[in-house]
Amino acid sequence: MTRPFLSIRAVRKTFGGFVAVHDVTIDVPKGEFLTFLGPSGSGKSTTLYAIAGFQDPTSGDVLLEDKSLLAVPSHKRNIGMVFQRYTLFPHLSVAENVAFPLRVRGRPDSEVKRKIADMLALVRLDSFADRYPGALSGGQQQRVALARALAYDPPILLMDEPLSALDKKLRQEIQAEIRRIHRETGVTILYVTHDQEEALHLSDRIALFRSGRIAQIGTGEDLYLRPANEFVASFIGNSNFLPAEHLETENGAAVVRLADGSIVKGVKATQNLDRGQKARLMVRPEAFRLTPAQGNASLAVEIVDTAFFGDRRRVVARTGSGDEIDVRPTSDSAEPDGADATSSRQIFFDPAVAFLFPA
Amino acid sequence: MLLDYDRLGWLRAALAGFTALVAAFLLLPVIFIVLLSFGSSRWLAFPPPGWTLKWYQELLADPAWIGAALTSAKIAAMAAILAVLIGLLASFSLVRGEFRGRQILRGLLLTPMVLPVVVFAIAIYAFFLRIGLAGTTIGFVMAHTILALPFAIIPITAALEGFDKSIEDAAIVCGASPLQARLRITLPSIRIGIFSAAIFSFLASWDEVVVAIFMASPTLQTLPVKIWGSLRADLSPVVAAASSLLVGLTLCLMIVTALLRRKLSR
Repeated sequence: MTRPFLSIRAVRKTFGGFVAVHDVTIDVPKGEFLTFLGPSGSGKSTTLYAIAGFQDPTSGDVLLEDKSLLAVPSHKRNIGMVFQRYTLFPHLSVAENVAFPLRVRGRPDSEVKRKIADMLALVRLDSFADRYPGALSGGQQQRVALARALAYDPPILLMDEPLSALDKKLRQEIQAEIRRIHRETGVTILYVTHDQEEALHLSDRIALFRSGRIAQIGTGEDLYLRPANEFVASFIGNSNFLPAEHLETENGAAVVRLADGSIVKGVKATQNLDRGQKARLMVRPEAFRLTPAQGNASLAVEIVDTAFFGDRRRVVARTGSGDEIDVRPTSDSAEPDGADATSSRQIFFDPAVAFLFPA
Repeated sequence: MLLDYDRLGWLRAALAGFTALVAAFLLLPVIFIVLLSFGSSRWLAFPPPGWTLKWYQELLADPAWIGAALTSAKIAAMAAILAVLIGLLASFSLVRGEFRGRQILRGLLLTPMVLPVVVFAIAIYAFFLRIGLAGTTIGFVMAHTILALPFAIIPITAALEGFDKSIEDAAIVCGASPLQARLRITLPSIRIGIFSAAIFSFLASWDEVVVAIFMASPTLQTLPVKIWGSLRADLSPVVAAASSLLVGLTLCLMIVTALLRRKLSR
C-alpha cells in the first residue's frame, strides 16, 4: 500500500473529563472525498478542527505527507476551509475576498487577478466580482467562501457543514457544484455533515462517528449494504428491526427464529452469536416484496396503512408480535391485489440482505 | 403588542404633549444661548433689541479664546486616541477573554461613567499634585482619557460582540497570522464601533468642565474652563458666542457620526 496522503493517527481530544474524540485513526488517500458523518456531539467537527489547527488534540498526531501538522500554526498549514457560518469578510468585495489569501501570501498582482477570475469561474459567480457579501444570498456566499478556500491551491479542503444553513433545494444544487468542483480540481476534501443523504451523495468514503469513535468507515454502499453494527444500520437509511433468537450457524449463515415462531435461514450475522442468544434482525424497507421469489423468507403481517408515492409504495404493517414495520416495495412489484389497509397477508424478503445484530 | 401606539386613544395626545415638554426643557436653554449670542444687548437682554455678529468678531479676535479652543481640541483629540486604543485592547479581553473576574474588570473600566465627577476630580487632582502632573498637558490628557474610556469601551465591545469570530478564524486559515487577521479583517469589520468610540470619547473630553477646572492652570485652559471663568468675571455675550460654537461643533460631530454610520453599515 502506498503511504497515505493525510494520516489521522489515534487523535484524542478531551474537554475536562469528557472524551470528545476517542483515538480516531483514518488514512486519507490523495484526491479522496471523505465525509465525517454523525449526530451532533459525535466528535466529527472536533476532529476536523484538530486538522485545521483550531483545537490541539490531547494526544495523537495528524500527518500530511508524513510530516506532522500539529506543530504548525493554523495560518501556516496551507489548508482550505469552508465554515458552517457565513465567513466572508464583510468589508471586502467578492473579488477581494477571494484575493485575500493570495495577498497575505504576497503573490504578485497579475497572479492574483488571474486567480480571482479562475476561481469565480469555477464557482460560476464571474459576474459578482464587485459585489459585497451583504448583497449575496446564503448559497452565493458559501460558493464565494469555496472559491476563497481554493484560491491558494491547498492540498486539503475542510468543509464544516457548509450547507446546513441553506434550504433543501439550494443544498442539493450546491452539492452538485461541490461534486463538480471536486472532480475538476482533484483536491482532497474532508467534509463534515450530519445529513446522511448529503454524505451519500458527495463522498467517496464516509466515516460514521458515534460518541467520539468511528462506528464504520467505508463507501456509502458499504455502510448501507454491509453495516458493521446496529448503529450504522439504523443511522444510514431506514431499517426495520425485528426481535429474533439466534438458533445456530449453518454454512456461515445464521438461522433465527422470529417472535411469531417462523424460522429464517441464511441470514448474515455481523458477529458470532451464541446459540439461543437474543438478537435483532434488520431488514431494509425496500427489501420487502409483496410476491415471493425463490428462497425468500415470509412474514405474516397485518397492513395498517398504505400510500402511493409514484416510484414507490409505502406500507405500514404490523407483525404478529406487534412490531410496526416500514415496507416500501417498488411499485411494479405491487400486484393488482395490492396491500389494502387492515388486511392480513404475507410479505417476503431475501434473507441474504437481512442482518443479524446482537440485541 | 401590549402597548400599541395606534390604540392609545387620548393617551396619544398626552404622550405627544409630554414629549414636547421634555424636548423643550432640554432644548430651550441651548436655543436661548444661541439667540443671545447674536443679540446686540451687552446685558444679554431677551428679546434682543437688535442682531449683531460683533460678539463673534470679538471672540475670534481674542487670542485667549482661540487658545482655549485649540487647547480643548488638542486635549480632546489626544484623549480620544488614547481612549480608543486602550478601549480596543480592553474590549478584546472583555469580549474574547476567558478569565475569572472578567465582569468585575468590565465594571471597573466603566466606573468613570457612574462615579460622581467631582469625587474623581478631587482624587486625581490630589494624586497629580503629589506626582507633579497637576497643571500639565499630560496630566490633563490622562484624566480625560480615564473619563472617556467608558465611552470608547461600550461601542467597541458592542461591535465586537456582534462580530462572528468564525470570520477571523477564516482569515487565519486563509494564511493571515492572528495579528494580521485582527488588523486586516476584524478591525475594519467593527469600524463603525471604533468610529463611534472616537467621536464619543472626543466629546466626553471636549465639553467636560469639572475635571478640567481642577486640571487647568492659568496657561492651560480648555474652552469650557474659559467659559466658566468668564461667566464669573463678567457676563459678556462673548460667552454666549463661545458656548454656541461649542454646541455647534458638538452638533456637527453628531451629524457626521450619524451620516457615516449610515454609509458604513450598508
